[in-house]
Amino acid sequence: MKNIYKNIIRCSFLALLAISVIGCTFDEVIDPNGPSVDGVEANATIGQLNELVIGVESSFRFGHGTETTASGTMARELYLFNADPRNTGDLLGKNGIGLDNNSFYSTAQWNGSYRCIKNARLLIGAVNNTDAVNETEANGYIGFAKTIIAYELIQMLKSYDRARIDIDDPENLGPILEFGPAMDAIRQMLNEANQNLGNAGSEFVFGLSEGFEGFDTPDTFSSFNRGVAALAAVYDNDGQGALNALNNSFFDLNGDLDVGPKHVFGLGGNDIINQVFRVASTEEVPNNGDQIIVHNSFIEDAEEGDERVAEKTQPRPDPSTQDGLTGTHESTLYESVLSPIDIIRNEELILVYAEASILQNNLEDAETALNIIRNAAGLPDYSGAITSEALTTEMLRQRRYSLWSENHRMFDLRRYGLSNTLPIDREGDQIFNTLPVPLSENAND
Amino acid sequence: MKQFDNKGRLFLLFLFLLPGIFYAQQTITGTVNSADGDVVPFANVIEEGTSNGTTTDIEGNFSITVDNLPVTLAFSSLGYETFTQEVGNTNPVQVTLVESTEALEEVVVTGLATSIKRSNAANAVSSVSSEELVGTTGQSTVDGALYGKVAGVNITSTSGAPGGGFALRLRGISSINGNNQPLIIVDGVYINNREVPSGLRFASGANSANEENSGNRLADLDPNDIENIEILKGSSAAAIYGQRGNAGVIIITTKRGKRGRTKVNFAQDVGVQSISNRLGMRPWTAAIVEEVFGPDERDKFLATIAERGELYDFEDIIYGNDGLITETRLSANGGNEKTQFYVGGSFRDEEGIIKNTGFERLSLRANIEHKISETFSLTSTTNYVESSSSRSFTGNENDGGLSYGYTLAFTRPWNNLFPDENGNYPNNPNYSGNPIFVRDQAKNEDSNNRIIQGLSLNTNILDTDVNRLRFNISGGLDYLANETYVYVPETHQAQLGTENPGFIAVGKNNFTQVNSQAALVWDHTTLEGDLDLTTQAGITYLYQDANTVLSRGSGLLAGQTNVQNSSTQAISQFLSEEEDFGYFGQVEGNYRDQFIATVGYRLDKSTRNGDPNELYGFPKASLAVNLANMDFWGLEALNQLKLRAAYGETGNPAGFGSTFTSYTSTVVADGPVGQTLAGQKGDPNIEPETAKEFEVGFDVGALNNRIRLEATYYNKTVDDLILTRQLPSSSGFTTETTNLADLKNYGIELALSADVIRADRFRWNTRLQFYQNRSEITRLDVPAFAQPGAGFGTGLGTIYIEEGQPVTQLVGNIDGELRQVGNVEPDFQMAWNNNITLFGQFDLSFLWQWKEGQENLNLSEYLTDLGQTTPDLNTPEGQARLDTPANAERFVEDASYIRLREAALYYRLPTKAVKTAFGSVVESIKIGVSGRNLITITDYSSYDPEVSVNGGAGLSNGIEVTPFPTARQMYFHLNVNF
Repeated sequence: MKNIYKNIIRCSFLALLAISVIGCTFDEVIDPNGPSVDGVEANATIGQLNELVIGVESSFRFGHGTETTASGTMARELYLFNADPRNTGDLLGKNGIGLDNNSFYSTAQWNGSYRCIKNARLLIGAVNNTDAVNETEANGYIGFAKTIIAYELIQMLKSYDRARIDIDDPENLGPILEFGPAMDAIRQMLNEANQNLGNAGSEFVFGLSEGFEGFDTPDTFSSFNRGVAALAAVYDNDGQGALNALNNSFFDLNGDLDVGPKHVFGLGGNDIINQVFRVASTEEVPNNGDQIIVHNSFIEDAEEGDERVAEKTQPRPDPSTQDGLTGTHESTLYESVLSPIDIIRNEELILVYAEASILQNNLEDAETALNIIRNAAGLPDYSGAITSEALTTEMLRQRRYSLWSENHRMFDLRRYGLSNTLPIDREGDQIFNTLPVPLSENAND
Repeated sequence: MKQFDNKGRLFLLFLFLLPGIFYAQQTITGTVNSADGDVVPFANVIEEGTSNGTTTDIEGNFSITVDNLPVTLAFSSLGYETFTQEVGNTNPVQVTLVESTEALEEVVVTGLATSIKRSNAANAVSSVSSEELVGTTGQSTVDGALYGKVAGVNITSTSGAPGGGFALRLRGISSINGNNQPLIIVDGVYINNREVPSGLRFASGANSANEENSGNRLADLDPNDIENIEILKGSSAAAIYGQRGNAGVIIITTKRGKRGRTKVNFAQDVGVQSISNRLGMRPWTAAIVEEVFGPDERDKFLATIAERGELYDFEDIIYGNDGLITETRLSANGGNEKTQFYVGGSFRDEEGIIKNTGFERLSLRANIEHKISETFSLTSTTNYVESSSSRSFTGNENDGGLSYGYTLAFTRPWNNLFPDENGNYPNNPNYSGNPIFVRDQAKNEDSNNRIIQGLSLNTNILDTDVNRLRFNISGGLDYLANETYVYVPETHQAQLGTENPGFIAVGKNNFTQVNSQAALVWDHTTLEGDLDLTTQAGITYLYQDANTVLSRGSGLLAGQTNVQNSSTQAISQFLSEEEDFGYFGQVEGNYRDQFIATVGYRLDKSTRNGDPNELYGFPKASLAVNLANMDFWGLEALNQLKLRAAYGETGNPAGFGSTFTSYTSTVVADGPVGQTLAGQKGDPNIEPETAKEFEVGFDVGALNNRIRLEATYYNKTVDDLILTRQLPSSSGFTTETTNLADLKNYGIELALSADVIRADRFRWNTRLQFYQNRSEITRLDVPAFAQPGAGFGTGLGTIYIEEGQPVTQLVGNIDGELRQVGNVEPDFQMAWNNNITLFGQFDLSFLWQWKEGQENLNLSEYLTDLGQTTPDLNTPEGQARLDTPANAERFVEDASYIRLREAALYYRLPTKAVKTAFGSVVESIKIGVSGRNLITITDYSSYDPEVSVNGGAGLSNGIEVTPFPTARQMYFHLNVNF
């Protein structure tokens, strides 16, 4: 009897042992679907750094579509008639509903911009932690990355009126700053970036897309950096700061209005398209699906002969109605899904110059600048009063028509306290001028 | 398996007794048949009150010699109820045995290599027999066939499309982010139950792959092949499955051959399915049209009425198809002492309630058992399946103009959308798609080639009176080659609105699963036969890989359906590979069927955990006490009273990829490739979720088990729950998957069954089940958050993870305040199943199912309200709703229902009639009619309260956006045995 037990135990033990050999150690698991972040944190090659630059430029475009249509809807520039009823509901405060901090319109831009900012931060970290580039070359990367971060943060302030600046440690994020302190930090960052660019030699060691043609050396990229700095200054009510920055930017009162760096797009699988483009209707094939409808007030309020209206919009074969809203025109702002979108162009800088001049009480300079804009749109010279107040009204009006559907109007009205002058289209609608910070921002609190 | 051994010995005993009784004077001959008409070989025939007996031969014939007449003969066989008959002369005796409905002799799985008599089990293991599963009506999928048949399971239909789409939840939610579908094992093979996305979201604008309404691949398994399903609902029963057992385990055994004459079965089902619930049209009048849409639309309305006298009923045009269902099955089984086989094939062809939708499945099976010698025996189960489905477009979308419900919400019934004589489809003036065009021209199809092979080799090392040792190696392979195909013609309205009209997506997806197991089992009898000890130890290994490639093209050449003929192309690929390895050991002791105790332990590691080589332990212990088997028991009427308690732990490793923080490739305007951060922050230290379950209960059997009651209470906690939580996206990451919470599920399950009438020609047995589950999140390390992919944000309503609240709560932003608006968990569920035999030849069965207190978020109504097409909008209530804010409170609805899930009436042709007509060629014929989803009583305002827009994974349930409506099915059945 004893022997049987012994045999059983021995037998079992041997069998298990034999098979256990198969169950050897598992190897470390490596992501088969993408490069790991650890892989570039230290000792990145120039090739890897340049891939990160492309990542920054690519993600610079993220969230742009929703950002533009949401703020454009809230500012009654346009309606987005598509399958998501919140575009005509929440954003217009239908039936007293409030904006939600966990819906696409409040999260898309925040997520998209901060993805870009994080990419730029990871690029800076990788540059600082490799011997593959010298100091001059490193300055080029860092100046580029910081300028992009600052631009993105300005977009956050425009939509959310606040932004988180310190994001380096994902576990311990800095506070979300109010507009004033955030803008201070952004302006400082732009100046640092400009210093980096000044010490970056004559060429970048990385390439940028065709969208940055003319802005792809440290010197010319710096002229973009100063354009953004001018923008930041007027938003900060610093007229002199803006004028100083404009001097070193690509601002040109007599130049081509369209000059400036652009977001460019592609149709490939890892690329994205212009998300503010919608196919225009023809008589035979009306686009009754996803469409950007022009708010009727944009047509009605236009000065007679303003060519910008016909350039940017066209009448629809039939007026479009959805959710109790009607529009006679649709957007033709972009020609195709591949049309570039301006990041900042000379036209905007001229308007910034006008605004800065008003702030500095150089009213004639402002009038000159506004006339350049007016004439370009086929309108005669400004004939109104030359007062700070009247010129401000004119400046905002020109901004409305020059920068229609480019994510400016909501912020322009907010910073001048004019949001409540917007029309109400349906009984029960409300006017919002600030997006709520996404719910998930509290996740680490 | 012990039970079979005992029977076997008994059988041998009778064989030995046989020669000793030849001195007798009277010989009685006869045959023993089953109620189905099958012969019953090797049945015991005993002269009552004596030790005289015999067994039937392979044809079911017997011959017994007795001293004098009359005598009473008792006929018995495993799986049948014992039957006694008085015999007064030597005319041939015809005996029909009725299959036992008693669970008494049934065995249930308790270890990886062992099973136990149900009457000794310490867990409430649910079993579903072939008869219960498919005996009433036609079933296209196994999960869909389980409705109302298992206490403790919550089944949600994620799509009414042919080929199904179901989510099974055993005893509530066991994972928030990870897998909630139970582990499914078919004949020892771990099978793949994925939903394979098709990429149609790139044309429809659906938010994610889980909104594509793909079917789950359990649909490939033919329910008719199944002999038995056992369901280990909680961790206490599934502990021995370790870290794959958290969501429960479904063990499916397919049909095996039986020794004896080869039997052939032919079955033909013909059926029709049609929409089970029509919502109807808003009752339009010219005045209302003008009020809502203005004078132009009024003119169009009047023109249509003038032209054809009525409006276009688009609900009927799209959902009104009567789909033909045919299913043909042929099987043969038989064998001898050494080899038994079951081979069968079936072909099911199901046409949906939307034209051009359907499901086809060809399934071939060969199950072979072979006894090589006294030492070795081998079992092989092989199943080849070719299935395909055409599911068209339903569910959520954004501007695709494809999803029918979405389109119909905005489509006005006075617009003619039919093609003209040249085949040109008019544009839908009110939405971006013409549903008739989509139905006729757009495609969303998948096809599957699949082989599931199981193999098991058993070695009897030792076989003595008190020690039996065997070694079992088993394993299997499940290989699935899946193809998906989505085609939206360049002439589709929404496509015309894009730069590159026309869309095509071709998916080629391969999935391989391999599992193997080796176990030693030692049965030992001691204490003079009073104590049986079963000890097992072994190892298991599981390997899974997936390679999915999706090629997309847009901008199609006119009429072309090849992805190459497109102007822009995109390819995506996803690879995954995972391995698990585990050790297990278990000891089971049975003292005279009075006390049955088990202890066991499992150790597992997985490449999906942060540390792929760390072993995690999962213990279990259980005790069952059969009071009625005690010597002191004197209550004859109560033949069974069992108290049972069980505890066990299981795990669930993180989803593949949770440990990675990676970049993904990106391009700017056709430039060189770059890398941008993927949104997920990985956790390199992630651990498996661990469930601990305690279950107690009692089983009562009265009047020789004519009345049976099973009652169970369970309390299951899941610790270190893995959550995908949203991160502050200002960190650059949007999500992180990590261990962050604890969850508790508790509930009761009651099952009462009775053989109410047991007369010769009238039989009625009935079963009533009641069960409920409650959940609560008991720990949450992060602030409450809206679960990604389970709802539409707090704006419209979402599943919301919050400490102290059920994991199934629906929360919405109501006037700036987050509030619970509902709970998708039912308050309770009930099922009432009845099988009635009338006049000996008629079988009537019906199954009622009741889900009470579940709340759904009906966002279909949001869309129809916007389109002004909701049927109730002419009523004051409807109008009042239009003026309420579009928040979750407005769309939440009670989704309780009572449904006649299945009903059938069969007629078994009298044996005599069959014999007269067909001679001995045909053994029996059965014909019948049946139906599925025949009656539904509900206040829910949409098509079906059973709904989930987010597929079967995760927490999805109860959120509706324009689903594929549920069908009612009616069948005619013919079943012939040769």
